[in-house]
Amino acid sequence: MTEENYDDEEIILSELDDEELVLQMHDDLYDGMREEIIEGTEILLARNWSAERVLNEALVAGMTIVGVDFRDGILFVPEVLLAANAMKGGMAILKPLLVESGIEPIGKMVIGTVKGDIHDIGKNLVGMMMEGAGFEVVDIGINNSVEDYLAALEEHKPDILGMSALLTTTMPYMKVVVDELVRLNIRDDYVVLVGGAPLNEEFGHAVGADGYCRDAAQAAQMAPLLLHNRRASRG
Amino acid sequence: MTGRSTRRSGGREARRISREVNIEQVRPFIERKIPYYELLDDAGLELIEKNADTVLEQIGIDFKEFPQALALFKAAGADVQGDRVRFPRGMCRSIIQDSAPAEYVQHARNPERSVTIGGDRMVLAPAYGSPFIRDLDGERRYATIEDFRNLVKLAYMSPGLHHSGGTVCEPVDVPVNKRHFDMIYSHIKYSDKPFMGSVTSAERAQDTVDMVKLVFGEEFIQSNTVLTSLINVNSPMTFDATMLGAATVYAENNQATLISPFILAGAMSPVTVAGTVTQILAEALAGMAYIQLVRPGVPVVFGTFAAAVSMQSGAPTFGTPEPSKIMYLAASLARRLGVPFRSGGGLCGSKIADAQAAYESANTLQTAALCGVNFMLHAAGWLEGGLTVGYEKFIMDLDQANMLQVLLQGVDLSENEQAMSALHEVGPGSHFLGASHTQANFETAFYRSTVADNNSFEQWHQEGGLDTAARANIICRKMLDSYQAPAMEPALDEALIEFIGQRKAQFDDRDY
Repeated sequence: MTEENYDDEEIILSELDDEELVLQMHDDLYDGMREEIIEGTEILLARNWSAERVLNEALVAGMTIVGVDFRDGILFVPEVLLAANAMKGGMAILKPLLVESGIEPIGKMVIGTVKGDIHDIGKNLVGMMMEGAGFEVVDIGINNSVEDYLAALEEHKPDILGMSALLTTTMPYMKVVVDELVRLNIRDDYVVLVGGAPLNEEFGHAVGADGYCRDAAQAAQMAPLLLHNRRASRG
Repeated sequence: MTGRSTRRSGGREARRISREVNIEQVRPFIERKIPYYELLDDAGLELIEKNADTVLEQIGIDFKEFPQALALFKAAGADVQGDRVRFPRGMCRSIIQDSAPAEYVQHARNPERSVTIGGDRMVLAPAYGSPFIRDLDGERRYATIEDFRNLVKLAYMSPGLHHSGGTVCEPVDVPVNKRHFDMIYSHIKYSDKPFMGSVTSAERAQDTVDMVKLVFGEEFIQSNTVLTSLINVNSPMTFDATMLGAATVYAENNQATLISPFILAGAMSPVTVAGTVTQILAEALAGMAYIQLVRPGVPVVFGTFAAAVSMQSGAPTFGTPEPSKIMYLAASLARRLGVPFRSGGGLCGSKIADAQAAYESANTLQTAALCGVNFMLHAAGWLEGGLTVGYEKFIMDLDQANMLQVLLQGVDLSENEQAMSALHEVGPGSHFLGASHTQANFETAFYRSTVADNNSFEQWHQEGGLDTAARANIICRKMLDSYQAPAMEPALDEALIEFIGQRKAQFDDRDY
């Protein structure tokens, strides 16, 4: 969507007061306007807002509205992807600042399809929705062996491991990965989420995952809760 | 019987017996006698073909991690960069038209069940690939090898299904790397209709070929086709090594493949009918050309599986107008190319055998009948976008399959069918129920549904007020109870069991 679609293109973000600007950013996230979100983020930081406050009040709050309207069938998938992409634009600015100030990030996820499975559209959607929810997502692509997953966990030290499969012939491999994590005594270092069309709740449980995500939106909803519980249980 | 009967032939007993036998003659496949419904004129189809050639020429198709395909295409004149293959305009079409047969016979263990695929024929096969089953107790659970056998038995007993299908459900209780043995064995043992081979790896495809060699003999299969197996394109515009590996084994052994772009339109293809059909044609052309390069003349089928993705939720949807339009166009394009066409099925998104399941499936089935599908996979049992196969839905779909047979017979204009004698006999007023023409024709006159209830409200109510699914449930249980296996040489059974036992012992169970 371009500027010309709006009657009110005279809006200048820097001239809005904080409250108006945050509300405008919620609208801009809703409309998937990446450039405007980047600009708004920079303005708030220049006004001495902390990165954490920008993240929570402008971006996460805006994406929560997006999530609700997606769930209610008002927003369509392509619009949610645009919103997530706008969110990602703001996050790119905030991330180094959050790290610098020692703020615990929302979370980091390593995600990939399991060995033998090259079907990655669902996995890609989950990645985008997770980024939309403020997570840092490391996408290790398709066809991942146990060794690939272990190497990615070692390198990126995520909070969440996400595994995806479209085929009944590949989904059992999730258990192979979880069993190896258990054997290495590192299973509890991660929240393990699994998803894919042939899975169900029972299967997720059987392979030893923390959660089965029926779709991308639910993954993005479930991940912060599971992560919060995990962090809380560790004090 | 000894001695003379003291009664005339006929009477209640004889009539009951004659009515038990299905009066529809069991035919090995449908021979179409009605025209095709063409959605676009020649100019429109030529535009799609031109655009598909542009896709093949400028964008190209990925043949991932499969050097054999890249080498064959390169030698045939394609431009190969990495895994990407770009084709000079018309190259794929001319390779296919040079050698691919317009129709072929897929032989069955029982020669009377052999099917001809292509031309004016239509062959129906049950649903394929569902991990879940909706069972007769109304539960949705992972399917087992027992469900697999049941579905093979039901398909065997169904006159409207001409083919035993392939992965009629995923037997999730059998290890991944060994389940193909049990699936192929079930098709051979519990049915005598033709069936499909394993495609989940080249090795498993080879096991399938080795098993059918035991059934038909090595020599026979090298000059005849006894398997038609499903090779999906990993759309958009990508063939993967797993599918290519299996396709290559089958082609090398003279066995047919269905090259099927698997399209959830909007996610895996553009959001328009014309754009999606363009992509489907480009993908199918590239895949079928590869098969012809592996072994010129081996049967290959132009496949199309298309659903529309809800832009609102991302869920695949079925039985809607756009996939129907896609099917009409793809069928026309396959006819212009001169190869058999696979599509259709009782496709729906519903979780249970309800009204949504029925009307979405009916929409797809009608389209498949009118557009000219030659091989219809998923003709019975499909639920929930293919994630689930349902017993009750299977029985409901069989009724629809039987109806297609009658519809596609077209209109008979014989003297008897013109029924002028009946019109003369009855004249104005009166009624036709007692007319001699009616007496001579009533038994085969109209299609009688196996699951519909058209009785009075009172009778329906007295009989329990059952809905369609509940009636189908009863039929399904009766069918499974009355199943009788087709005859099979004990020596063949022993040879198959021995082969499977030996192969299974050669490697450990593995869940991938």
